[in-house]
Amino acid sequence: MNSIQPTQLARVEPEVAQSTRRLPNFVLTNEFGLLILIIAFAILFSLQNENFLSRFNLFALSRNLAIYALVGMAMMAVIVTGGLNLAIGAIGVCAAMLFGWTNQVVGLHWSVSVVLGLSLATALGAVNGWLVVKTGIHSFVITLATMSIFFGLMVFMTQAQSFRGLSPEVINFGKSKILNSFSPLLLMAIVAGVMLSTMYKFTALGREMLAAGATPEAAELSGVSVGRTFMYCHMLSAFLAGFTALLLTSRYGAAIPSMAGQLGQDWLLPAFLGPVLGGTILTGGRVSVLGTFLGATLVVTLTNGLLMLQVGEFWVQTVLGVLLLLAVLGDKARRHYLMQRGLA
Amino acid sequence: MIKKMSKLLALTSCAALALLASTANAVQTTKLALVTGGPHPYFAAWAQAGKDAARDFKLGAADYKVPPKWELGEQNSLLESLTSQGYNAFLIFPGDSVGSVSTVAELVGNGATVVAGAGCFKDPSKAQFCLGTDTGNSAYLGAKELIRALKGKKRIVHFTGFLVDPNTQLRIDAVAKAAKEGGAEVVQVIADIDAPEPATEKINAFLATRAGDIDGIITTAWVPAVVASGSLRKIGDKRIKMVGIDHDEVVLKAVKDGFVTGTMLQNPYGQGYIGAYALDRLRNGCTLKASAPWKTNALTNRFVDSGTVFVDAKQIDGYVDAMQGITKTIFAKFQDTYLDCKK
Repeated sequence: MNSIQPTQLARVEPEVAQSTRRLPNFVLTNEFGLLILIIAFAILFSLQNENFLSRFNLFALSRNLAIYALVGMAMMAVIVTGGLNLAIGAIGVCAAMLFGWTNQVVGLHWSVSVVLGLSLATALGAVNGWLVVKTGIHSFVITLATMSIFFGLMVFMTQAQSFRGLSPEVINFGKSKILNSFSPLLLMAIVAGVMLSTMYKFTALGREMLAAGATPEAAELSGVSVGRTFMYCHMLSAFLAGFTALLLTSRYGAAIPSMAGQLGQDWLLPAFLGPVLGGTILTGGRVSVLGTFLGATLVVTLTNGLLMLQVGEFWVQTVLGVLLLLAVLGDKARRHYLMQRGLA
Repeated sequence: MIKKMSKLLALTSCAALALLASTANAVQTTKLALVTGGPHPYFAAWAQAGKDAARDFKLGAADYKVPPKWELGEQNSLLESLTSQGYNAFLIFPGDSVGSVSTVAELVGNGATVVAGAGCFKDPSKAQFCLGTDTGNSAYLGAKELIRALKGKKRIVHFTGFLVDPNTQLRIDAVAKAAKEGGAEVVQVIADIDAPEPATEKINAFLATRAGDIDGIITTAWVPAVVASGSLRKIGDKRIKMVGIDHDEVVLKAVKDGFVTGTMLQNPYGQGYIGAYALDRLRNGCTLKASAPWKTNALTNRFVDSGTVFVDAKQIDGYVDAMQGITKTIFAKFQDTYLDCKK
């Protein structure tokens, strides 16, 4: 799940040659820097508080990580176009509420409800993509508007009522544990990450997304339908948002309108933190699924660790911001050092 | 002055309740966290209530914990962390009445005892009971007071909290019911404004364009009450009557100066103090009495009303006494009424 760039669209000779140095190259990547930071903080927190590595805490960590990583990937799928999707929370909640309604009220099998929920999310993503492509207005504005529209319609239709009588399979999945220490939600996030990484690296669609995001004009000249590709990116983003919301529904044992906060805005910060820390470029054309996952891991580890150290709750946000800034600057310094010594 | 009154409330409550608390010989095993849903001035009294409870009931800890944001995920992370740190008793304002139930189940599964404070979990849940304001009843009584204050036409507007909060619909229904009974008309309900920015924008826009169309205002959330009180003061027209909620300094001063008819007070200190006491007793051998006079609301059938009272300009100086009186009354009878404690 290393960084993937559009240059991979054409498999040029030098890149093949570099693949023989893949392991040393990884040491020089942003992802490696994140990994070192995560390990360092994990050691620090576990030395400061033995409960950091307790089964209960590891379970909580793994569950939170799954959600942070998935919303990060959902945002990353649109950042690749140089755009944003502010409506991921609203779309996710819409998918979860449709799932809850069809499963509890209509009485459909949970698997059918999952398909319907994900289909709705994807359709809402298609609406976003279509509006962005057809109007030419930046996705920031479009998704800011659709965030309110989607969420408002959801509240109107559900009257803000939750669906709690879900199938036992759904509820039990959220409660279950792997090795008595990890949430299966994390496994789902890892699977999603591997599939995304594979798509970007090995499929024509993935490489078209990267190419269209990097230089749309060049991609268009190469035969890529940029508008259609951007629409696919929004649909993928919305699908992942819906998937995240369904996992959260399983975790809560209910489909609740407030799962992503007012207008779904609670997801926005983690959605940006993961990809940006992980090396996804906001101007588009470059993604790092592994980086997004590691960025989310760093954020979740820091948040959990700081709370365990009883840093005041209000200071957690501040300290988190400072540490993240230091982490980014440290990584930049590391790369600068390596470049000066001809190692990068 | 209000700050002094708040301090006075806390101090006098301590002194008055300490005597009653002397009956509680709890073992120092209770490590309590009073966890809000997010930052909100309503819960400030929980901090003092926790300190007083820790001292009076000799608790291992009774710490006031506030998630940095009103996010269900933030509250869950905080609760999970507190559990990992060894806290074994929780007074929780649910981040979501349904969404928090699974987290409560995990806390209880990890050996903790949980009571809902100021807001309830939706049944069934592993929380012992809910100690809070009967929000629907409070809104109903407030609307009744407003209608009583109106002369002639009775056209009212209702400013309230977030629609994702199930209490909001209860409040809307309660105000509508009171209006129907009192021959009043609810001209408009403006919800989703329990935050400074939307409350300021929407309330001021409404008053700027439609002040002449209404005779009364009922607010059933803290921030709208503060904003509407300030707006009425700025307008300077005392024709529009208003009933607010809670004890923010702005609202209390507006009541005193005649810009607001009165306010529906709640009892956050009592929730924190009595909730801490109940949790400690439950951790030390007491159980809930099935035969206790539990009240029922839309969320739970194990509800204890922590009290609500309407105060107007005449009673505003004595509001501390009013709330203290409610706390003392509930506390004095709490164990006998709700708990079964084997000696």
